[in-house]
Amino acid sequence: MMGNSVVFKCILVIGFVVSTNVAVGVAQTTTSDSDPLLQDITGEELQQVINSYKGEKAVLINVWATWCAPCIDEFPYIVELQRKYQDEVQVVFISADFPDSRDRAKDFLKEQEVDWTTYFKTGKDQPFIEALSENWSGALPFTKILSRDGQVVASWEQGAEYEKFENNIKKALIN
Amino acid sequence: MNINKTAHVFFIVLTIGLLAFFPIKDKSADRLEIGEKAPLTDVEVTDVSGEVLTLEEVAGENGLLVNFSCNTCPWVEAWEDRYNPIAELAKNNNIGIIALNPNAAIRDDGESMEDMKERAESSNYQFYYALDKQARLAEAFGATRTPDIFLFNSDMELVYTGAIDDNAKSAEEVEQTFLKNAIENLVAENEIDPNTTKALGCTIKWPE
Repeated sequence: MMGNSVVFKCILVIGFVVSTNVAVGVAQTTTSDSDPLLQDITGEELQQVINSYKGEKAVLINVWATWCAPCIDEFPYIVELQRKYQDEVQVVFISADFPDSRDRAKDFLKEQEVDWTTYFKTGKDQPFIEALSENWSGALPFTKILSRDGQVVASWEQGAEYEKFENNIKKALIN
Repeated sequence: MNINKTAHVFFIVLTIGLLAFFPIKDKSADRLEIGEKAPLTDVEVTDVSGEVLTLEEVAGENGLLVNFSCNTCPWVEAWEDRYNPIAELAKNNNIGIIALNPNAAIRDDGESMEDMKERAESSNYQFYYALDKQARLAEAFGATRTPDIFLFNSDMELVYTGAIDDNAKSAEEVEQTFLKNAIENLVAENEIDPNTTKALGCTIKWPE
């Protein structure tokens, strides 16, 4: 009797895991000729971009700047992961460079072979920071990972290694 | 019986495994909160002049202003034209002021005491600029970036923390002079509003 109950629970749990893994919304977004590589964005607009992936893809948001050494160090890992999980995850890069460094940011994106729309922070710092996370102090780089249903799986300041990004992406995909 | 036991263990392991994938709350920094006392005020730090100081000694009759700053951050550079005017305002109001450099991980890459001396000289700093060895003070304050401001009253309780103002790049285009207002209201014994603000900045380069 007890054995049947445990086996039934196992089947339920396995079923849950399998179903969440197969229910994947696929929507690859790459830049077209009409889409600039680096679009201006406010905190409010960013929220709309993030929400547009809800139910379809997990989202990795990364705020970076060309002058930020840890941002530059971790950037290639995120690009690589976007390619690896392109059907399941959308990376949303936001440059927090000063306006006079916009071209430098664009050059860096090209150098890294980024071929999807990324964003350039505009407006005041505080509303932008608060739109992304109430617990973000404003230090760069900043990363936040959301599951497909929009739940925060992880967020952190400071740079990270490939494994940390991938582990949290995997968590986002299972949630 | 054995199958039953194995299935039970399998279920527990699977459940624990799944729990690891549940959503977690945004991780928050352990930052000093408004009203909390300044920590490690008796810890000695060395100023670019060679003088050894503690925060207790730097504090003025009306309080203490601590700015976690550095040499290599463009945000510091952007705000730097406001450093001396703020220092003057603080001193005129009997508030002690010190900038602390917490970037312990990159002392050999622009953040050494020699680099700090050069920066203090080239930018004509009119305030203490001391090395926060192993970022002990930054860690105790819960500072996260440079620049990062902590203003304390005469009882060394935190009354304002966050940004200098709302426009790093242009002093002329500042709309809200957060820190200036906080200093003036502290001295006038008025409410400080806002007492907490945020701005973008460079992460502190913590020691390994």
